[in-house]
This record gives sequence, structure tokens and C-alpha cells, in this order.
Amino acid sequence: MKSVGLAFEQAPAAAVPLRFLLTAPWFLALAGLVLVFGGADALASRWTPALLAVTHLVTLGFMSMVMIGALFQLLPVVAGAPVRGAQWVAGIVHPALTAGTLSLAAGFLLGSFWALRAAAALLALAFAVFIAAAGAALLRSTVRDPSVQAMRLALIALIVTVALGLSLAAALGWRVSVPLLGITAQHAAWGLAGWTVLLAIGVALQVVPMFQLTPSYPKAVASFLAPGLFIALAGWSVAFWLGWTAVAATLGVLVALLVGAFAIATLVLQHRSRRRHDNPTFLTWRAGMLGLLLAAAVWIGRDGLDTVAANRAAVLLGVLFLAGFAASVIAGMLYNIVPFLLWIDLRRRAHGRVPHMKQILPDTPARTHAWLHGASLAALVAAALWPAWLVPVAGVLVVSANALLGTILLQATLNARRVAPAST
Amino acid sequence: MSDREPLDVRWLEPPEPFERIVAALEGLPAGETLTVMIHREPQPLFRWLTREGWRYSTRYDPAGYFEIRINR
Repeated sequence: MKSVGLAFEQAPAAAVPLRFLLTAPWFLALAGLVLVFGGADALASRWTPALLAVTHLVTLGFMSMVMIGALFQLLPVVAGAPVRGAQWVAGIVHPALTAGTLSLAAGFLLGSFWALRAAAALLALAFAVFIAAAGAALLRSTVRDPSVQAMRLALIALIVTVALGLSLAAALGWRVSVPLLGITAQHAAWGLAGWTVLLAIGVALQVVPMFQLTPSYPKAVASFLAPGLFIALAGWSVAFWLGWTAVAATLGVLVALLVGAFAIATLVLQHRSRRRHDNPTFLTWRAGMLGLLLAAAVWIGRDGLDTVAANRAAVLLGVLFLAGFAASVIAGMLYNIVPFLLWIDLRRRAHGRVPHMKQILPDTPARTHAWLHGASLAALVAAALWPAWLVPVAGVLVVSANALLGTILLQATLNARRVAPAST
Repeated sequence: MSDREPLDVRWLEPPEPFERIVAALEGLPAGETLTVMIHREPQPLFRWLTREGWRYSTRYDPAGYFEIRINR
């Protein structure tokens, strides 16, 4: 089994990706707080202010935060193209993304135009700087690898998502008239099936065989899944805008099938994992792939539902994708990536005195988090179907699980720092 | 005696294979060869070996693993 030439010696100082990875869980905890205090409203419909706030705390504050942080590590190590001036780029992107996301959530919750305008400006800054820096690195990369290809496509999807998102923020903040429903549908699709799933594919191609000790993904999956998904998504987009409903519906189903294929391919690989099947990463990724599969099924099956049911389906879809898929696989990845990048950093700075990985991030707290996350997921799915009193319960579980995750990652960083104080 | 027990790091999670190989090399008497059995071809290890002045050769065993022989 040939491994890609992972260039760990090109990795940036750990502080660059770490600040993003360590911040992220707290945004998810914040989303949980909104659920606790928002009550049934928070999951009643995708258009309530509370759910809009929750959605963006999750997609921007947690998901994009982790994905951007991970790319600072992946671009040099997998694509052989470090981000130039990474310290400066991270120094701008991290605060702008943090403040922008908080502003956006406040804007939704308080109905404040100023908060929405500030959010638009801050998020535009954060993404413009990141996309320019990451884009330049990807253009520079000469590595021919399906992971790198998937990353390129993910970045293009991010550009589309951000452009649409900024137009929505501008519409709300400056009362400009835009086709809200259409743009929102496109924004969500490009953000979830595009930016998130495409990057997940790129990352999975590396981390699943590497950390879960499985065979490599089959060549057909590795080479064609990401490009196929991108083309289907782009096709759906065009058909959507042109009003070709039948074509759009078909391509939409194709997108869901390809997403489902990724989930199934990963589950099959996991089945052949040489690690014990009860380790935290395995459990969270299995849950993540099942969540993704269910989300794809709900997407396909939601046509022909009456308005009330269609609304429930939309909320359920969001819960399955964001909490079921994204939060699960990100947690699983964080259990591996954070101690690993701390280890690489320590090797460079501390030479002989590198602690064992399990001393940096032990299994037991990670496993506790995995189960707590599972409980929060079950509560969220139940709450999506029958909101009312279940929403605050789910919220409390989300807050607990993510406060724990945030603490675990912080503790791992402190464990590593104890061996060799950071130079930054 | 220049043939010792091969170091079997197959199916260990990263970075344990790397850690064990480096530890074994540190204790390797001069003139001896370390033989390693590993499930994935470790390009990052090869780059480290070259930087540290080790020589190595790899072959794929049909039983489904790579055998690496390392010496100075």
C-alpha cells in the first residue's frame, strides 16, 4: 500500500492551526446555549432567528473554523505547498472569523442591522484573506494527488458559498432586495455538499487509511468522487437558476447519491479497519457516515411532502448533516490531528523528549466525549421531529459535550507544552 | 551476529511505527542492519533516514507488507 509522500517537515508552527482547532468547540457550545435559551423556536423552522444563529455558529464558528485550521496543516503536508506568511494570515483570519461569526449570530438573534453589517465586513475580510492565501498555495502545488484535487474543488465551492452568503448578509444588513429563497438554497448546497463534503473527501482519503488503519480508498472513488460531485453540484446550480426544474431535481438526486457513495465507501473501509472497532475515532466516523447517509436519503425523499412535513424535513436534514455528519467526523479527526500536530511540533523543538501520543491526548476522555456527543445527537434528532421541551435538553447535551471537547484539546496542548515550552 | 529479530510495526497507529524505528536505530550496534516490517510505505520515514545519514532498501512482501532494511 503506497502512502502519499506526506511532508511533515513542512508543517507550520503548531500555534497556526491550533488556534482555530481549539476555538471551534466553544462555538458549538455557544450554539448549544442558543438552543437552551431559544426553546422550541430554535428548531421550529429553518427560518427562525434562533435557528439561523445556531446554523451559522455551527457552520462558521465550528466547521469552517476547523476546516480552515486543518488546511493550514494539510496544504504543506499533503499538497507540499505551505501557506506563505501563515502566521500573518492566521493572525488576520482567526480574529475576523471569530468576531464575524459572533456578530452574525448577534445580528440574527437581536435583529440588529449594525451587527449584520459588521458581520458582513468581518467575514468578507476573513474569507478573502484565507481564500487568497490558500488559493495561492494550491495553485503553487505540483502534487498530483486526489486529495489535493478535492481541496481545490472545495476551495472553489467555498468561494461560491461565501459570495452567496455575503449577498444574503448585504440583503439583510442593507435592505437590498435579492431572491432570498433561491440564494439561500444555493448557499446551503454549496456550503454543505460543496465546501464541507468535498474537503471531507480530500481529508478522508488521507486520514481514514492512516489513522484508522484501513486499506486505501478504491482508485475509482479516490479519483472520480470529488470531481463528479463538483460537476453534479455545478450542474444542479445552473439548472436551478435557469428554471429547468426536472433537470435540477435529477442532478440534485445525483449529488445526494454521490454523497451517499462517499459515506458507504468509508463505512466499507472502516469495516476492514485493523484497529479495535470501539476507539473514539472509529465510533464518531461511523456515526458521521451514517448521519451523512441519512441526510442524503432525507434530501432525496423530501419531494412531495406537504408544507408542514417539508419544514420538519428541512430541519431534520440540517440536524443530520451538521450534528450527525460534520460534528461527528470533525470530533473524530480532532482526536487524531491535534495530538499528532503537537507531536510533530514537539519532535522539531524538543528532540529526544517527545511523550507518547496517548500521553498527549488519552483515549478515555475522548471516548467520554464520543458518547456524550452521541447522546446530544440522539436528542437533537428527536427534537427536530418533536421540538417543544426536547430542544433545551438537546442544548444542554451539546453544551456539555463541546465544553468537554474544548477542554480535552486545551489539556492536550498543555500536556505538550509541559515537555517543551512553545517558542511562539 | 548481523541478523537480528525483525522489528514488526505493522498495523500500529501513527506515529508509533516511526517512534519504534527511531528508538531501535538509536540502539543499533555499528555494522548491524535493522529489518522492519511495516504495512504502509513510510515516505516521511525515508526522508528522515536520508537526512540522518542512514541507508535503506525496501521490498514488498507478497504476504502484504513492506520490508525495510536500514543500516549506516
